[in-house]
Amino acid sequence: MFAIPKKWKYLLALTLQVMLIIPSTAWAIEVLNNDTITFNMGVDTWSGPIQLTIDRLSAYFMLIINLICLCGMIYASGYLKPYLPKKRSVFISLHLFSFVWLHGAMLLVVSMRDGIAFLLAWELMSLFSFVLVIFEAQKESTLKTGINYLLQMHLSFALIMLGFLVAANQTGDLSFAGVGKFFGQNPNLPIFLVFLTGFGIKAGFIPFHTWLPRAHPAAPSHVSGVMSGIMIKMGIYGIFRITSMIQSDLMTIGIIVLAIGIVSGLLGVVMAIMQHDLKKLLAYHSIENIGIIGIGMGMGILGKASGDHYLMVFGFAGALLHNLNHALFKSLLFFTAGNIYYATHHVNMDKLGGLAKGMRYTSYAFLIGALAISGIPPFNGFISEYLIYSGVINHLSNSVFIISILSIACILSLVLIGGLCIYCFTKAFGLSFLGTRRQESYNEPIEVPKIMLVPAIIQVSFILAIGLMPAFFGASAIGIVQKLLNEPASDFTASAVQSLTDVGHVNMLLIGLIIVIMLLRAWQQSTVKIASGSTWGCGYTAGNFRHQYTPTSYADSLRELANPVIDYKKIYISFKEKEIFPQPKEFHTVSKDLVEEKTVLSWVHLIVNHLPKAGIAQSGLINDYLVYPMLFLILVGLLIVLNIL
Amino acid sequence: MLSLLLIFTAAIYFPGVIVKVKAIFGGRKGPGILQPWYDIFRLLKKGSVYSSSSSFVFQIAAPIYLTTVLVAALFIPFEESIALFSFTGDFVLFAYLLGLGRFLIILSALDVSSGFEGMGANREAFYSMLMEPAFFILMGSLAMFTGYTSFHDIFANLHYNSYFSAIIGIIAAYVLANITLVETSRLPVDDPLTHLELTMVHEVMVLDHSGFDLGIIKIANNIKFVLFSTLSANCIIPQSLDLWMRIGIFLVTQVAFAAGIGWLESFRARNKMAMNAQYILSINAVALILIFAAMIIKNKI
Repeated sequence: MFAIPKKWKYLLALTLQVMLIIPSTAWAIEVLNNDTITFNMGVDTWSGPIQLTIDRLSAYFMLIINLICLCGMIYASGYLKPYLPKKRSVFISLHLFSFVWLHGAMLLVVSMRDGIAFLLAWELMSLFSFVLVIFEAQKESTLKTGINYLLQMHLSFALIMLGFLVAANQTGDLSFAGVGKFFGQNPNLPIFLVFLTGFGIKAGFIPFHTWLPRAHPAAPSHVSGVMSGIMIKMGIYGIFRITSMIQSDLMTIGIIVLAIGIVSGLLGVVMAIMQHDLKKLLAYHSIENIGIIGIGMGMGILGKASGDHYLMVFGFAGALLHNLNHALFKSLLFFTAGNIYYATHHVNMDKLGGLAKGMRYTSYAFLIGALAISGIPPFNGFISEYLIYSGVINHLSNSVFIISILSIACILSLVLIGGLCIYCFTKAFGLSFLGTRRQESYNEPIEVPKIMLVPAIIQVSFILAIGLMPAFFGASAIGIVQKLLNEPASDFTASAVQSLTDVGHVNMLLIGLIIVIMLLRAWQQSTVKIASGSTWGCGYTAGNFRHQYTPTSYADSLRELANPVIDYKKIYISFKEKEIFPQPKEFHTVSKDLVEEKTVLSWVHLIVNHLPKAGIAQSGLINDYLVYPMLFLILVGLLIVLNIL
Repeated sequence: MLSLLLIFTAAIYFPGVIVKVKAIFGGRKGPGILQPWYDIFRLLKKGSVYSSSSSFVFQIAAPIYLTTVLVAALFIPFEESIALFSFTGDFVLFAYLLGLGRFLIILSALDVSSGFEGMGANREAFYSMLMEPAFFILMGSLAMFTGYTSFHDIFANLHYNSYFSAIIGIIAAYVLANITLVETSRLPVDDPLTHLELTMVHEVMVLDHSGFDLGIIKIANNIKFVLFSTLSANCIIPQSLDLWMRIGIFLVTQVAFAAGIGWLESFRARNKMAMNAQYILSINAVALILIFAAMIIKNKI
């Protein structure tokens, strides 16, 4: 891979990837139709031979991984082109090589059950994604972000390992099965929390989200699309695995997961609204969508706790389907944001606008992605949210008080997230693609090469397929959940399929009727005079691009409500009283991530501020340095004498 | 299908009644009841002027807005006569469908690169975000109270349960009436007749729409009005009467509601813009009372 000419490298990487995709897809489809399959890898660790075990949950995730990684690879062929002459050959190789390995590592993560092998695959995934993030390592900020990411991923690794080790210590089985046995014998809450934190760092639940809004904007777009689309879902996969095994403390665990989900969902979207950088906005939306998945899982666990099978199956199924949905529209949105970067060389919404005229196809794709992520029919985001809603609503009247209250909280937060999402994506789409460019001088952007639009076609067709045939996808998700939880297929599956079919019909009718009305409109417009003129400006005729809404002013209404979590500040120099010939003034706004400040940075700052005091010890005198080991030895000796060590 | 017929019948005279009542209170004779619709038909025959800064979004926004409202109308039942679509959680789809229309109208406002329309777009997004929870709490508490999960089942079973139904029904109707005012941007949230772009919400978003597009947006607004007022009527009309009686009561309540809006708009000033968020949140609070009432009735507390 490293030795061949630059232009062939991509083809080789693609071939390798296809070689990964073909067998894994075949296995996954086989598993979804029949039952779990197991392969021996022929490699032994001390805990036994390493096996590939693919059950329905793994198969489902494998299909998503293959789809999104293939889209990412196709996209990369266009996106990397401008970098080819600039970058050294070895960096291109390393990048493509890591991309294929990330794909392979993710496939391994979902099919390994043995603790060692799983952790190894997990580590590979983190390492290769780190290499991918620092593609533009010549920028200092990118490198710093990458190191931050790497450290956080190792924290996650350590916690997951801790969970496995504690379980293995008691059961003697370092694997998921061992964790399952452990849960059968002990209180579940502590170890579940360790796993939840470990996997939650990967998934990006608030307050473990701090790497996400940094790493995604720093990485090249095909990498951010794959990372946000599917890699963070590996955390969700882990939580699903663990959740399927827990047996006690269900109520507490359910409330904790639900609470984390609600907090991530709401804060994620609120912080997204405040962003000016399009990719950062999308990164915060990943947190929000992970929050929705968390809400679904939380309700599922609560259903299990209260013996409400309907709620359990629908909560989990909604969360599971949202994984696929989010993978589709989020990678679509990141790729289209990458198109903007490709065409304009930045993604700052303060300077964008009017792209819909030059970049027609990109704007279609972004609009569909924006509608889908806001959970709006006829697209796929609605279907998974609908599954969660219907699970929650269905047993509202018979449930006990605590479940009712939590159900209401779940509905309320889903609705608020939906409303805020509309707010956020009208901003993201409206300000980048509509109106006129918010810049004095610029080159009119042109549409990106066709190859970069191919992934968008694939993603949009899946998005539409899920929206129009929700019964098939919903029933599959329900089937996977029932298999995972050893739940017999029950009568409510049929009624669920029936209502999902109805949703599909409504969506088809919606599209049909839109076409009819559009045709009517086209006919009417062919009979009358159509003119073009300037925008109505209340009689003011010298309007220019500065009169448009900006990201700051669009987010302004929400500012007061959101201030407790974002600490929003305006920074400007006001006019002086007697300034007759005013100088150019500057105005900009900043918003902080207060959750990060309070939970992480405050500690870090505390340590960093106090560490210099330890510098007294570094006196530079060899005499002092000889005293330290002696003091240490005396300490050890004392401890031994006192029988403490 | 009866409900569809009733919705369209009510949509024909609803806007006219509002205008007429306002005219009477203002000491004028006022136009005929059907005048708003004559205006719409005139618009539908006219040519259009498009802003030179607008793109394809501006072209598709108005038709999609109308379509969403029309499809949403297929969900509304009239008590026990079934709507075209009825399934578990259909009200979720109903609300999200209206969200699609709103999304596109907001985008079309941002498309013309005007500060005024951006203002309207921003307000619409903000207010509807605050308003949406009230509708879901309301439907959630009705679902909790009746034990059913679709519009039709909920309204068909709302009136069997004794006096509690009347309490729940009246509060629900009150909340729905308020939601109607916010959703359709009437007083006290927004004054559709104001002539100052800076203080408008919905009307300012469609400043640059003309001809056919403006016509269908107005049609959609009129139908949207009746959608919510029909839901409201469903909450209060007792099931025990016979069908003709109920249809009669329905038509009368619609006139009364329209007249009420006319009366409100004649005697009340618009809220200060900054007060609107509080006003909307207070509607949410009333909806929360409803859910606690439902919990108490179901012996959960």
